[in-house]
Amino acid sequence: MATPRPRIKLPRKIAAGDPFTVKTRITHPMHTGLRHDGKGRIVPRRIVNRFSVRFEGEEAFSVDLHPAVSADPYFQFTMAVPGPGLLEFRWEDDDGSVYGLRRRIAVE
Amino acid sequence: MVPTRRDVLRLGAAAAVLLPAGAARASNRVPEAIAAFTGGAAPAEGGVRLDVPEIADNGGAVPVRVAAPGARRIALFADGNPRPRVAVFRFGALVPPDARTRIRLAKSQNVIAVAEMADGSFRRASRKIAVTVGGCG
Repeated sequence: MATPRPRIKLPRKIAAGDPFTVKTRITHPMHTGLRHDGKGRIVPRRIVNRFSVRFEGEEAFSVDLHPAVSADPYFQFTMAVPGPGLLEFRWEDDDGSVYGLRRRIAVE
Repeated sequence: MVPTRRDVLRLGAAAAVLLPAGAARASNRVPEAIAAFTGGAAPAEGGVRLDVPEIADNGGAVPVRVAAPGARRIALFADGNPRPRVAVFRFGALVPPDARTRIRLAKSQNVIAVAEMADGSFRRASRKIAVTVGGCG
C-alpha cells in the first residue's frame, strides 16, 4: 500500500474570531476487513480509526472512524481562533502509524 | 447415512432460528449501537440537521453534512450496512457542531444521526437514501 498522504486546506487569510473552513483528506484505502482480493482471500481490516485537530495543544475537533467512512477519508468543518497559534492534525492508522500535519496560524 | 426424522426436524429448527436473525441483523443492531452511544437514553426527534442526497449513484462515497446547534458529539449510523456504526464527531469550543464527510452505503437504507447536547440530552434525525451502486460498508 502506498504511504498515506495527508492534505489540509485552509484559507490564506484568517482573522481572529472569524469562522473559517477547514478541509482535510488523507489517501488511504480504508480496508473494511469484509472484502476479498482477486484470489478469494479476505483483505484484513486496515482503516484510519481516529482523526483529531488540536489548536495550541487543545482538542478542537475529532472523529472516531469506522470502516463505513469512505476511502481517502474527507472531513470539512469550520473553526474560529482567538489569536495566532499552532494547528495540529493527526490521523491514526490501525497498523499503529500516525500521520500528522501542522500549520502555524497567523492572525490578521 | 440416511437422516432420521429427528435429524431433519433438528436442522429445520436450527435454520428457523438462524435465518431471520441473520437477515435482519444490520437493522436490528442500530438500536443497540445507538443505545451504546447514548448510555440507554432515548433520543428526541428534532434539532439535528442531516443533509444527504436522496439518491446516491455511488454508494462508496456518499456526501453527508450533519449539524446540531449546542451539540458536543454527533454519531452517524447506517441501518443497511454490514455494521451499524459509521463515525462519531467530537466538537471542542472553537468548532461549531457542523461537519461534512463521505460515507459508504452497501445498499439503499436509512442514515441516522444522534447528537449529544451540552446538557447531556440526545437528539436524532434520519434520512432515507436510495443507493444505485452499493459501496462496501
